[in-house]
Amino acid sequence: MGSKKEQELLLGTLDMLILQTLLMGPAHGHTIAHVIEHTSDDVLQIEQGSLYPALHRLEDREWVSSYWGASENNRKARFYKLTAAGRRQLRAETHRWKSMVEAIGRVLGNAGRVLE
Amino acid sequence: MSLRRYLRRREWDEERARELEAHLEQETADNIARGMTPDEARRRAYMKLGNPTMIREEIWKMNSFVSVEDLGRDVRYAFRQLRQSPGFAAIAIATLALGIGVNTAIFSMVNGLLFSSLHIRQENRVLEIGSRQKGAQWQPQFSLAEYEVLHGQTSQVFSGVVGDAYGLDGLSMEGNKPDRAFTDYVTGDFFDVVGVEPYLGRLFHAGEGVTPGADPVVVLSYPYWKQHFAGDPNVVGKHVLLDGQPMTVVGVLAQDYRGVNTAFCPQAYLPLAMIVPIENTPLSEYRKPTNRNLRLYARLKPRVTKQQANATLEVVSRRLAVEQPVADKDVELSSFGLWVGRNAGFDPDNAIGEVALFFLGLAGMVLLLACVNVANLLLVRATVREREMVIRSALGAARSRLIRQMLTESILLALCGGVAGIGLGLWGSHLLSSINLGTDLPVHFYFGFDWHVLAFSIAVAVTAGLVVGIVPALRLARANLNMVLREGGRGVAGGGHKFRDALVTVQVGSAMILLIIAGLFMRSLTQSEHAELGFNPANVLTMMMDPGEIGYNDPRARDFYKELLQRVRAMPGVKTATIAQIVPMGVVGNGGDAITVGGYQPPPGQSATVVAYNLIATDYFSTLQIPMAQGRDFGAGDEEGRPYVAIVSEAMVKKYWPHGDAIGRMFTMNSDPAHPLEVVGVARDARYQGFRQAMPPYFYVPFAQHYTGNSLETLEVRTEADPGGMAPVLERTINDMAPNLPVFDVKTLHQALYTPNGLLLFQIIATLAGIMGTLGLVLAIVGVYGVLSYVVSQRTSEIGVRMALGAQRGDILRIVYKQGMWIVGIGLVAGLAASFGLAHLLHSLIVVSPSDPATYLGVSLALAAIAMLACYVPARRAMYVEPMKALRE
Repeated sequence: MGSKKEQELLLGTLDMLILQTLLMGPAHGHTIAHVIEHTSDDVLQIEQGSLYPALHRLEDREWVSSYWGASENNRKARFYKLTAAGRRQLRAETHRWKSMVEAIGRVLGNAGRVLE
Repeated sequence: MSLRRYLRRREWDEERARELEAHLEQETADNIARGMTPDEARRRAYMKLGNPTMIREEIWKMNSFVSVEDLGRDVRYAFRQLRQSPGFAAIAIATLALGIGVNTAIFSMVNGLLFSSLHIRQENRVLEIGSRQKGAQWQPQFSLAEYEVLHGQTSQVFSGVVGDAYGLDGLSMEGNKPDRAFTDYVTGDFFDVVGVEPYLGRLFHAGEGVTPGADPVVVLSYPYWKQHFAGDPNVVGKHVLLDGQPMTVVGVLAQDYRGVNTAFCPQAYLPLAMIVPIENTPLSEYRKPTNRNLRLYARLKPRVTKQQANATLEVVSRRLAVEQPVADKDVELSSFGLWVGRNAGFDPDNAIGEVALFFLGLAGMVLLLACVNVANLLLVRATVREREMVIRSALGAARSRLIRQMLTESILLALCGGVAGIGLGLWGSHLLSSINLGTDLPVHFYFGFDWHVLAFSIAVAVTAGLVVGIVPALRLARANLNMVLREGGRGVAGGGHKFRDALVTVQVGSAMILLIIAGLFMRSLTQSEHAELGFNPANVLTMMMDPGEIGYNDPRARDFYKELLQRVRAMPGVKTATIAQIVPMGVVGNGGDAITVGGYQPPPGQSATVVAYNLIATDYFSTLQIPMAQGRDFGAGDEEGRPYVAIVSEAMVKKYWPHGDAIGRMFTMNSDPAHPLEVVGVARDARYQGFRQAMPPYFYVPFAQHYTGNSLETLEVRTEADPGGMAPVLERTINDMAPNLPVFDVKTLHQALYTPNGLLLFQIIATLAGIMGTLGLVLAIVGVYGVLSYVVSQRTSEIGVRMALGAQRGDILRIVYKQGMWIVGIGLVAGLAASFGLAHLLHSLIVVSPSDPATYLGVSLALAAIAMLACYVPARRAMYVEPMKALRE
């Protein structure tokens, strides 16, 4: 049970990161993977493979749409684009995330004071 | 996940493959740009991405209905497994089919009795009204005056109160010989209030049935119209004769409607007041406050509860007591719900529903036995399949998948068994529906197959599958690789001896219960068959007729019977002949009358008691061979115009004249207070209803003094030899005298005892219980035998060692026997205790004592003996194990 919840949390995080990446414009899977890695200063090392099921899931929920196009070095690649629903979802998720982080921070802050 | 996605998942997958390939190429290109060799670049790209096939599989799974797909695979696999061991499959399916079939058949009966519809509008809003004298039993009969009071004074709770009265009348198309129809005389608004629609034509108007003779119209029931009018679509407007009176058919009732008392289904409906001309009822008799012939039904107004209705009925009953002080002195009224299996009356002893539920319980026990057997088979099989499961689990099959696979197999078995069982059950319910109830009356019990029964059967089958499958499935899923390897492939499921032994113990116990209950019912049947009846049923032929059905008035009917008796008595082969209204254990006319006996005070709180009586001709006592204890038989002199006389039973003497001086005493029937009856004789007690109770008081009055309104009589003839052979001659004689007179219920007095009120119910119950007991026995024996055989086969090498070390054959026999006897013994004791408890719930249904020692002893001994035999065969096999052979294996 616990592990499943954890998994869900991680999946949710990955979803959020993908949506965040797509906010800057359409991108294909390879780009998304690298952007996530670089923007997080390589702290979040994702197994690139897990990206694709996540993309599939997001598309299934109609938060992203996809099309075939040409990549920067003129290769055929599948591009993903944020939809309006995806944008809304990202806003909601980001908000939720921020408030959770704040809450955790407060709890930890209190704990810090007690420990001192 | 959309269905469209699911259907296009192959295409989708190809696209993913291309996408992943593109990703790899990109990454490889990047790596080369970083200065790696092409091979190294590609290797790194793969490492970073992960296994592309796994990724595609994950996405494929997201596009599939996973469980449905797995299910399909499981089912296909299960089918293959079963096909590989057809013997196992056949035995398991047949066993389950028996269990499920018995349940289906019995449930179809319960369904027919308790849950099927009366096919009227909002049937739970229609009630029947009952009345009783304080302290007496509820009874359904009312007089016309009482109906009018109830009709007029309950309008705040009922949207209508209606009444009906049953009759038996001759119905004919002009010129044809009439056949006897079971008729129902109803108030005009009857069908409106009860809530039935016509199939053809119209039903009655509210105004019809008020004025005697004014509405010569008849409505036919759908089955009667189909049978006797060949479903003639132009039947409306046709003329028919009812007891010789011309009537017009105005309609046919809805197809499914069988009446509000489903046991008896009226065939023709007439307006109430037509009973006066058709059945020759004098107007004074029709309106007499003591002539209680009507059954009353009422429909609750919207939002009125039954409690409110009963409160109103209580008020009305007090008013009735004031308005009709003679007829309704201490009357109480109440309402009763209608349900299909309720036959006439509110008798709390009418336990048809309980009996049916009880049998459902027994059937459940048979199913349990069947399930245990199949579970045992599966357990044995599980041992064999242990290795397969361990390998699958080693290859990474999830435990839940293995359990599901096993359960799928069991449920598949159970469903196959269910299909076969439903077939068996259909056949069984057909047999149950076609039981001859020993009466020519249109009695209707339909134990057919509807969606209730189907749903029940499927539920039973699936439950059976789960019950059967869960144990081996769990056991297998727990199977542990190391253990199997350590045991050198002998399997771990074989370790579950205790559990299997417990299952067989349960089986023996259940079989014990089934057999004891069967035994109690069988003993009740034989005891009833040999009960002291008080009369001699051998060599007596009975046949019923009603000259009123061909339009004879009462004096003419009396003269007809007089002449008939003269002719019959003169026939060769006839010892004596008589007529009587009531045949022992019969279903027709078992009413009685409240009586007033000079000098007898009913116990406080009780009003005058109802005593049953019979209307007889001379020679009745010599024909039935009921001995006279005192006084005289009726004679030719006891006629109209002479002092009214009666013969009473000894039980009646005991109750009303405890000093034994009954002869010459007087009493009156409340229906005819003008004619006190003088007791001229005392007859020995005879059983007219039931076999168990103490003989109730009973009396006899001469037909010659009470022929008015009583033209329905039974001719009873004591013959020199086989009575059946006399039937054609007697029928010919009647036919000579009255060519159109229908004669029915022709049977010997012995046959006449097999009615639902007599031995028939016992017979049916005993047969059903016997069938289930036998099934239980067979299943339990198979269980005991199977388990011991298995144990012996598992212990062969151990036995070989023992024998090699010098054990004698007798020792081996004892070892195996000891195990078998423990199982059987515990089962027997537990079964005895449980059946002892259960049997006491049955005490009202059986004649013998619920702790009848003969039954308990007999069944225990028989079961123990058969179980010993079942143990003997495997024990013998163990005894003859060849030590060398066993050791070499």
